Amino acid sequence: MSSLSARLLVSVSVLLLFFFGATIVVLDTAFRKAGEQAREDILDGHLMQLLAAAEPDADGVLDLPPDLPEARFGNIGSGLYAELRDESSEIVWRSRSALGLDIPLGVIPEPGNLLFLEESLEDNTPLLTVSMAVQWEIADNELKSYVFKVAESLDSFNAQVAGFRRQLFSWFAAVALIMLLSISILMRRLLRPLRQIESEIGDIEEGRRASLSEAFPTELAGVARNMNLLIDSERARSERYRHTLDNLAHSLKTPLAALRALLREIVAQKDIAGRFDEQIDRMDEIVRYQLRKPAASVAGKLVLAPVAVAKEVGRLVDGLSKVYRDKNPVIDVDIADRIRFRGDIGDFLELAGNLLDNACKWCERRVRIRIVPAIIAGASAGGIEIVVSDDGPGIPGEAVDALLQRGMRLDESAPGHGIGLAIVKDIARSYGGDLTIQASDLGGAEVKVTIPPAPES
Amino acid sequence: MRLLIIEDDATIRESLAVEFADAGFGVEQAVDGREGLYYALEYPIDLAVIDLGLPEISGLDIIRELREKGKTYPILILTARDRWQDKVDGLSAGADDYVVKPFHFEEVNARVNALLRRSGGWASSILVAAPVKLDMSRQDVTVDDKAIELTSFEYKIIEYLMVRAGQVISKTELTERLYDQDFERDSNVIEVFIGRLRKKLDPENTINPIETLRGRGYRFALERSQSD
Repeated sequence: MSSLSARLLVSVSVLLLFFFGATIVVLDTAFRKAGEQAREDILDGHLMQLLAAAEPDADGVLDLPPDLPEARFGNIGSGLYAELRDESSEIVWRSRSALGLDIPLGVIPEPGNLLFLEESLEDNTPLLTVSMAVQWEIADNELKSYVFKVAESLDSFNAQVAGFRRQLFSWFAAVALIMLLSISILMRRLLRPLRQIESEIGDIEEGRRASLSEAFPTELAGVARNMNLLIDSERARSERYRHTLDNLAHSLKTPLAALRALLREIVAQKDIAGRFDEQIDRMDEIVRYQLRKPAASVAGKLVLAPVAVAKEVGRLVDGLSKVYRDKNPVIDVDIADRIRFRGDIGDFLELAGNLLDNACKWCERRVRIRIVPAIIAGASAGGIEIVVSDDGPGIPGEAVDALLQRGMRLDESAPGHGIGLAIVKDIARSYGGDLTIQASDLGGAEVKVTIPPAPES
Repeated sequence: MRLLIIEDDATIRESLAVEFADAGFGVEQAVDGREGLYYALEYPIDLAVIDLGLPEISGLDIIRELREKGKTYPILILTARDRWQDKVDGLSAGADDYVVKPFHFEEVNARVNALLRRSGGWASSILVAAPVKLDMSRQDVTVDDKAIELTSFEYKIIEYLMVRAGQVISKTELTERLYDQDFERDSNVIEVFIGRLRKKLDPENTINPIETLRGRGYRFALERSQSD
């Protein structure tokens, strides 16, 4: 069952069936019980009337007058019957209404007791009967046993019950129908945004729209936003791949052409190795730059565990202290408490590693790395700012742009210089951040990378 | 100085071995992690050049194991993986420096020399113990700023002694580190070379740069000067 509304309808139907079924059974039983009680009381009344009307006749046999107060005893087939039997169960008297009918003998109760039974006539007409055994004093001290029995056909009662039941069923069925109908209408209304997402995704797949619309109820707005992030990042990633591959293909072509040209010269010229090397360096740098593109996509950032920045910087500083042991720079580390980088750990190491490596390379003696929460206008907390400064010669203003452009114009640039800053900038950009270069109070360059908080999920 | 090169790519390994041998190093080669770890633990070596992506045992595991077993000689990583994550992993494991492929031999050589002299406590590649000055990158020696003509073997000996200035180096150690393995080991040869070195460095016998400690070995005895 894949549809939510179908699921809900089936569940509600089953619930209604249970609930209404139980209600019907309870009401029906109660109605029946009450009806039966009333019937028994009436029968009891009839029996008492008969007892009051009974008189012994001349022969000393108990008899009843032909005109009884209850007219139904006088009408044939009226549904109310009475009979009187003696101790040998021979019929002494029976009402006119019972003419031609054979009321079953049933069970004879203890003298003085009433006994109610459900019996039936030969034609299966259901009967409710009450019988009572009495000792009648006919002459002096002569007691005779008689059994009075009154029976009433249950046909009309049953018809009444059936009518009640029918009414019950039809009302409940109507209510259930109305409920199911309103639920399915409600579901349609509730699920409309989901259906809209579905159709919009379909549209995106078929290229009819770029992203999901924004107008969703609060509960779905987050989902829609994340879907949009995912779609955007997927799109950006595939674009980046295409771009990377294009770049690789194009930028490798030049050095390859150069190599081919060199090969033609190799026979004539001997000292060609250096120029070969130059081309190999160029290709290596191109490959390095392209392959060090940011690892995390925007969608990835939603599920990545935050990086404990202090520990990773510690590792970098230890490692760089080994590499630059001759220079032995003093590296000040100033990291705000419990600060986290929300992204790929490799990306963070690439950011901090390149910045620190550059600083160690250019510094005289002092390097400083400061990582603090970023204060960005209009953004919530969670962003970070990485500032690395040194006391080296600094970067002249006109060189900054050229340095940062390196990634884009790699195939035109001369080999041999670091591509670290271009990589850092690329990674910062992929996190929605940026990189700025200015003069440091230490005397050299200060590179600041600002990473905004990850988009809210 | 004796180097161990652990590298599975034959072209790179052999080219490094040839170049280092030409530069005056004794070279051991291992083709995979298992062999490399064995050599690194059992052979007398002064520095190991270890590729990170090795078959059998990874370079990182070798480095960790060596440091755990108390081997303190410098380790230089060769790696094709250029991300900081990999570099930091290698350095944290116990390596001292890294070179990213494709490299120039000159760069590897420079790093190796730097690591070796640092391991002897020198901060610059020009080792100065006045009046003797040894330039490791140019492989030349001057006394009172006058160039001294040395054979490559003589240079190897004075470099080895001077990098470890102040330490006593036994004849066995010198033989092990300076000869290639299949070379005939004859400690008399060392004595002859030491004698020649003394004559070249100290013809008037005034500064006495190399001491002989009877039964123990040799020591470069001049005080280290501030080298830069």
